[in-house]
Amino acid sequence: MIAFNHIHLSFNGKKVLDDLSLAVERGEKVVILGKSGSGKSSLFSLLLGFLEPDAGEIFFAGRRVDEKSVWEVRRKVAYIDQDVSLGSGTIFDLLDFIARLKTNLHLGQIRKEADELQHYFELSDEVLNKNIEELSGGERQRLAVMIAVLLHRDVFLLDEVTSALDLHLKKKVADFFIDRKDWTCLVISHDPVWLENPAVKVFDLEEKTWRL
Amino acid sequence: METVDLSIASLVLTFLLLALPVVLSLLFGFRLLKPLFYAVGRMTVQLILIGIFLKYLFLWNNTWINLLWLMIMITVAVFSAVRSSSIKISRIFIPGFLSFTVATFVVIFYLNLVVIPLDNVFDARYLIVLGGMLLGNSLRGNIVGISTFYKNIRNDTRKYLYTLSLGASHYEALLPYLRESVELALKPTLAAMATMGIVALPGMMTGVILGGASPEVAIKYQIMIMIAIVVSTITSVVLTILMTLRVCFNHYGVLRQDVFTDRAPGHKKSSRRSRPPGSAAAGRR
Repeated sequence: MIAFNHIHLSFNGKKVLDDLSLAVERGEKVVILGKSGSGKSSLFSLLLGFLEPDAGEIFFAGRRVDEKSVWEVRRKVAYIDQDVSLGSGTIFDLLDFIARLKTNLHLGQIRKEADELQHYFELSDEVLNKNIEELSGGERQRLAVMIAVLLHRDVFLLDEVTSALDLHLKKKVADFFIDRKDWTCLVISHDPVWLENPAVKVFDLEEKTWRL
Repeated sequence: METVDLSIASLVLTFLLLALPVVLSLLFGFRLLKPLFYAVGRMTVQLILIGIFLKYLFLWNNTWINLLWLMIMITVAVFSAVRSSSIKISRIFIPGFLSFTVATFVVIFYLNLVVIPLDNVFDARYLIVLGGMLLGNSLRGNIVGISTFYKNIRNDTRKYLYTLSLGASHYEALLPYLRESVELALKPTLAAMATMGIVALPGMMTGVILGGASPEVAIKYQIMIMIAIVVSTITSVVLTILMTLRVCFNHYGVLRQDVFTDRAPGHKKSSRRSRPPGSAAAGRR
């Protein structure tokens, strides 16, 4: 489904990814582990075309990710940034904006579906009526997760999406993704709710190996 | 009624008015004397030279010379807009020049051919004067518009990239920034229009009246030129931004950081907001 082949990436002369190869099959849930600065978030940026590797190739659904195909990749992948950059305005403004994108027109009644999902992610009506900038870190994370699910995609890039949640909600969010067998998830997290789940594979980015 | 000519003595009396700001500066210690005299001196020399030049320009009234002078004015305007916009001249000059040219020519020829209309659309008295007013008044809007567009995307990189990650096309991701830039670019002109004639008589109207025309004629020219300025500003800002997209963004829709002459805010501290996720990965977090 997703393959990073012999990826090299440097910033300001410092090597971030050195001959990294990683393949993720459809339906797999993979947690990427590594120290701060080891290039975890860079992998997501590479797949989405926000960064270009110095060498190596990236494949998505069998097709090489390049300037033409990356736009298609972005339509098939749901990405949650660790800093949850949702902008400003109300949540409903954001949902309307997302629903109006050409690629999402088929989604139909996104607000109605949001109503159903908000209860699962324990977002109250009061929270949904707030401006995005007024939300706490945990509320923004849950909102970002909800948006990712509303996009009806089956590949997820989740960068520290549970870091600001309490244990109960961490488990709820993690289980929500892990239980869906047809979803492929690449996860950056140190949370045991992901790491200790037997359905999850763990890739050590620095050792460039799978942890058993 | 003919314009009353000002003699050299009259001009000298005008300069004597400067005694007031000089006294105030000395009294309150304003550090204005040097910049004031520099600005007045430079303005005077430039206007004298331009006055002499325009005298002969109007006298010859040669189509090609008029067009050449208009192109020179456009070039200077583009340089001025680009230099103040924090975008590298090499990236933006040609698209800026083309967009200013299109916006200026379309509007001027519409005015000269359809609105006024003139027997000679290249008449210096109209081509140069109207062209100058369009360029001068839309310049500020262009500086604001172009600068705002690119700086906002740079300062808001993560949100912009998140929009791309939602599956937005490049156009869809850029549209909110384009809207904000154009709205901001037009704000001063729209604000001026709203108070025009109430707070002060605008320049065009003043000039036309002093030239001997009646107020009725003057207001018609003023209305005409204000609408032309709005149209020229919005056209040139939109065209410049659209034409620079290709050189300022890569094929993945990511803004090239090397298009700016200045650094991103908080660059030394590796601002995470203005860089793609993971690009600050080298030894920081």
